[in-house]
Amino acid sequence: MSQVIESDVCIIGGGISAAMVAERLAERTEASITVVEAGGRTASLEERTATRARMLAYGENPYPNDHIPGQTGTGEMYQSMVLGGAAMHWGGAVPRYSPEDFRVRSLYGVGYDWPISFDDLEPYYQEAEERMGVAGEQGPPEYDPRSKPYPMPPLPLSWNLERMREWTDAAGIPFWTQPWARNTEPWQGRNVCQRCDTCAVCPTGAKYTPDFAFDRLLAAARIRLQDRTLIRSLNLASGSDRIESATGFHQDAPDQPLEFRARTFVLAAGHSWSSHLLLLSANSRFPNGLANSTDNVGRYMTGHWFASGFIELPMRLYPGIFPNNSLLSHRFASPGPLDRYLRHDIRLWESTVGREARLATDDGRVLWGDEVMADWRARTRSTATARIRSYYDVIPTPDSRLTLDPGMRNAHGDPMPRIDYAAGQATLDLEPHTHETLLGRFDELARAAGGRMMSTRASRLFEHPGGGCRMGDDPATSVVDRWGRTHDHENLFVVGAPTIVSSGCANGTLTFCALSLMAAEEIAKG
Amino acid sequence: MAESRRTFLKQSAATVAVVSLPSCAPTAAESPDALVPATLRAVGEAVLPEELGADGRERAVAAFELWSEGLEPVAEMAHPYLVPETVFTGPDPRPGWAAQLSGLDIESGKRFAASFGEVGVPERRRILEPHVRRAGPDFGRPENAAHIAVALAAHFFASPIATDLCYGRAIAKQQCRGLAGAGDEPAPLPGAAS
Ligand SMILES: Cc1cc2nc3c(=O)[nH]c(=O)nc-3n(C[C@H](O)[C@H](O)[C@H](O)COP(=O)(O)OP(=O)(O)OC[C@H]3O[C@@H](n4cnc5c(N)ncnc54)[C@H](O)[C@@H]3O)c2cc1C
Ligand code: SF4
Repeated sequence: MSQVIESDVCIIGGGISAAMVAERLAERTEASITVVEAGGRTASLEERTATRARMLAYGENPYPNDHIPGQTGTGEMYQSMVLGGAAMHWGGAVPRYSPEDFRVRSLYGVGYDWPISFDDLEPYYQEAEERMGVAGEQGPPEYDPRSKPYPMPPLPLSWNLERMREWTDAAGIPFWTQPWARNTEPWQGRNVCQRCDTCAVCPTGAKYTPDFAFDRLLAAARIRLQDRTLIRSLNLASGSDRIESATGFHQDAPDQPLEFRARTFVLAAGHSWSSHLLLLSANSRFPNGLANSTDNVGRYMTGHWFASGFIELPMRLYPGIFPNNSLLSHRFASPGPLDRYLRHDIRLWESTVGREARLATDDGRVLWGDEVMADWRARTRSTATARIRSYYDVIPTPDSRLTLDPGMRNAHGDPMPRIDYAAGQATLDLEPHTHETLLGRFDELARAAGGRMMSTRASRLFEHPGGGCRMGDDPATSVVDRWGRTHDHENLFVVGAPTIVSSGCANGTLTFCALSLMAAEEIAKG
Repeated sequence: MAESRRTFLKQSAATVAVVSLPSCAPTAAESPDALVPATLRAVGEAVLPEELGADGRERAVAAFELWSEGLEPVAEMAHPYLVPETVFTGPDPRPGWAAQLSGLDIESGKRFAASFGEVGVPERRRILEPHVRRAGPDFGRPENAAHIAVALAAHFFASPIATDLCYGRAIAKQQCRGLAGAGDEPAPLPGAAS
């Protein structure tokens, strides 16, 4: 017999999207809320000083036990299954998408328009920034539109980044400080950034991680947290397309099924596990999976690609002052009319590449002690390295798919997800032009400083992935509406990354959070 | 070397040690594969900068020993971005390193009729050179070093103190420094030519 847990709203997943929905519902409704997270807890804030030290010393994972053995798939996925999700590890770079991202078909004749505009999402961007605490510098309004100031002043530019900004100013490209979910003022009881420079694990709590939000909600008794519990299926009410329950198992009691009943179900399981659970929940009425009557679940998986490089600059910098801050430009994300489609951001960091201590010279002569120092000093006295990277927009395609892989199963025997990412033909056709333009831009920037390109790289990793349950007004081509409500099941919402239409050319998590908050507004209506 | 610079080196070497935390690994004294301290110090004299002085080199070697004691073989590594598989560090390098230290003594005995610690730094470097050459040109992470001499040097040159000495500035990388002062040019190290 199952143990039954009832609530008004059942949120499946305990990552950053879930945290946004849970917080908003807890504050604005009386609803009882259960959050079901497959993983447990990882290093607490107090433990992060020690795990950080071991990460620095030995490269170890600073978040022990943050995944479930055997619960993984094939393709680009986050491994973290833990309270807080992948955003325990994240860097906290939180740019917004650009207004153009939502209208690429109308403006440029490529890809797909979203059912919502930037302006529709703008209030939720602001709310997400306030919930996590974002420190940012207002960029030129035409490239960084916003209705209110950033919640906190920006992280300071290091001496190195100040020098680099003088260079980019001279090159005529506007750059400003990357916005970060890291505190420059005390925020919601969390500390100010101390420039420890290991933002993958922040020992001070200045970087936002979702566990802080869950802990606040638990302390206020506003949510019930059922962690270490993997949901294995969503179940329909008999004779209806409404979801009646979600069933799963606690890791310590694999023989004792748990049944979660709720008025509303919110699938906040991230870009891979959300589509996976819908496909896994197939039944006689929805043989291809829930919310999948039009065969769109698991399709249009997307992310952005990048080109990057290292630039030798004829100036002395001091790498290590604050490498976890960077300069950002969205100048080319809002490029105006284009002959050939290419939209991208540009990021710049200080770097040590080519300027580290080394054991031997280029011609193979071994260096000893003082010679290593002398060689190192010679290579850093009057030259420095900057890292440059541009994310660019990849046109999604229905052939970019998450499917169930019968050849790979978890401990319960469930097939695991397999993601075969693909880019739309337009992206492939444009790729030579894209690379030529980006590398040309990098080269121009390098030469504006009297520098040179040291190396370049093009990546087809689908970064900040999303999709699989894309939003749209037409059920024939989408899984959820603009609010994240599935077209097939009136009480089932999917939130965040899976619902994006395209992934723009900016880190995606702030957008996933804004979309989750927008969905929460609709969910709150009951 | 100015006294104030010595004090700086002493403090900074202590900072190097801070990142070496104890773990469940056995201490050097208990382990059959302990790194012989005298030979390790003789290696330090060959691969670490002389400008550290004897005290500075001793602190760098001691920091390495502490680090090595805390090393956990086959530990789960920080997740590479968007890689669904767990990645682990390698097996325990210390038995191999310990064997290399005794090998250095044996080789030194055969070549120069004296232990590794008894021969001069030029002779020690002749013995070490093929091992270092094989590893170069980059240091890599110390736990991945195929030879103890490279591990020791890699550990030191990756430290905040080494970066500060290279630049002659108090950069203090990865030390929690507060936001104030981030925009300033780092202060010259006392006594350092910048
Ligand atoms: C190293 C690193 C750096 C990053 N840096 C940045 C950055 O600087 N900027 C940025 O924008 N993004 C960054 N990201 C990406 C960012 O972390 C993710 O986009 C974001 O965390 C996704 O959140 P989510 O809520 O959509 O999903 P997730 O974080 O994946 O959370 C989903 C949760 O649902 C749980 N779950 C899944 N299936 C089930 C089930 N069946 N039952 C119960 N629970 C389930 C999972 O265990 C997981 O905890 C980074 C990621 C990494 C790994
Ligand atoms: S730089 Fe700031 S946010 Fe990053 S780890 Fe240090 S204190 Fe945390």
